[in-house]
Amino acid sequence: MTPKSILKNSTVSTNEPSATSKPYTQRHRDVALQHASIIEEQKRVEKEVLDAIMTLMDFPTSPTADPMRPSPSDALFFQGLMVNFQPSDYDSLIEERNIADRCGYALCPRPKKKAPSKARKHFIETDKGVEIVDRRTLEVWCSDDCARRALYVKVQLSEEPAWMRRGGVNDKIELLVENAEDHHKALPLRLKQEAAPKPAKSEEEEDVASAWAARDDALADLALERGEKPGRLSKANKDLLRTHIQERVQTAPSVPPEPPTQLSGQSHMAIEGHIPRADRPKDEDEEDDGTDWDKHLPG
Amino acid sequence: MDERSNVSPNMIKMWRVYRTVKEMCMDRGYEMLKEDTDISLDEFAARFAKEDGEPDRGRMHFSCQPTEAMLVKYTDSPTPKNPNPVPQIGTIWIEFNSDDAVGLKQLRDYMQHLVNGSFYSGIMVVQKPMTGMALRLLRGSASIEEGPKGGVEVFVEQDLLVNITKHELVPKHVLLSKEEKAQLLQRYRLKETQLPRIQVTDPVAKYLGLRRGQVVKIIRKSETAGRYASYRWAI
Repeated sequence: MTPKSILKNSTVSTNEPSATSKPYTQRHRDVALQHASIIEEQKRVEKEVLDAIMTLMDFPTSPTADPMRPSPSDALFFQGLMVNFQPSDYDSLIEERNIADRCGYALCPRPKKKAPSKARKHFIETDKGVEIVDRRTLEVWCSDDCARRALYVKVQLSEEPAWMRRGGVNDKIELLVENAEDHHKALPLRLKQEAAPKPAKSEEEEDVASAWAARDDALADLALERGEKPGRLSKANKDLLRTHIQERVQTAPSVPPEPPTQLSGQSHMAIEGHIPRADRPKDEDEEDDGTDWDKHLPG
Repeated sequence: MDERSNVSPNMIKMWRVYRTVKEMCMDRGYEMLKEDTDISLDEFAARFAKEDGEPDRGRMHFSCQPTEAMLVKYTDSPTPKNPNPVPQIGTIWIEFNSDDAVGLKQLRDYMQHLVNGSFYSGIMVVQKPMTGMALRLLRGSASIEEGPKGGVEVFVEQDLLVNITKHELVPKHVLLSKEEKAQLLQRYRLKETQLPRIQVTDPVAKYLGLRRGQVVKIIRKSETAGRYASYRWAI
């Protein structure tokens, strides 16, 4: 048997919003939806970055790859994944690769450099003299070249989180590659610009180039279709932006503000329009004078 | 203190961590012998010491079976749609990671191990906090298919040096089963959202391995009422 309540059976729940509170307008709902969609976008991007880091931990695809001349597919893949990254995400990538005992640069297959000893701090000869550095900072890269290449990518990343970005900004990451000429031909991202000035190429190369260009176009179309590139935000908050501008119509002719009529001499004493009584000169017709209480008394 | 003089400080630390983990498993309701939870330092050193006197974390791993009472507690009451509900708990695998830094790689290996060994859930004890990305993976691990069903919990050794539930200022927390929760809500005519809450990241909630939606009964001493019970909804 359920215990019986000693409280009255009231029909009105206190949790219900009272009728006097303002009704929710469409605009409130739009604002809430807008923020919800941003949070959802954030979750999606964070998951993508996590997946990207997990993929890039096992990069490059072949163990003999050369970080100076990465294979076009690897390079393109890497560039594509980097678009969503913030510099902090990139640091995480380097950290994870180091834990997996690899060079911090994602296109380098070599293991990271081993410090000469296990001491926590190390003396390093530099141009400026001897420096004392942490062992961890020594064991990030396989070589100085890889460090340069990796940081070349990092400085191009945008500090702004990917879910807050406008479309079309910063969606190309350049890689620092040696013998750039060969590489630019192979890299489809640069192909369109370079194809026009140098039409005289062997047929095979042209075929390859056109194939890459077609693929690039197709990828761009797909991205467009997904609604990724052009202004993700503007699409979402379409309802919040008013395209129709309403002019403020003036109904009455403008009137200059009234000059202070009474006690104009005291206007400089006014505090937001009020003149404190303490400094006001004595007035004859002032009603609540401090001494007039006995005037009206009989007798 | 005489017996401790020949044991390395790291050994003593690991001994305390190991005991806390054992106690934690017992408090959660896994099968555990009382003798296991208060293993002496000498015995611990004899079992897990390397030649150089440092603890060998690789050998400290163990697994636990849930007790009957725990199985009942984690089983939904049967419904017409689901007449034979499966308990939401199973064998747990506890591992002490010996790597200096723990990142995605170790966490994924661990998850893979749990799945291969068909463990329901796992606890990994690490020396230093994990990397940010690993934490991110852990947060979403309950929902991904590759991980174990019951999820993975990660504790830092530093947090397990003492058993926080033995502190006098920490009241007793008791997990309620689904049935008890329903009775509680009916007794006080509440919806579960009307209960006070406790975060699942709360130290005691982490110790008990609370999941979202569970209710704990907190029994604390009261000067006026003797004992006072309150309830918290894990969120």
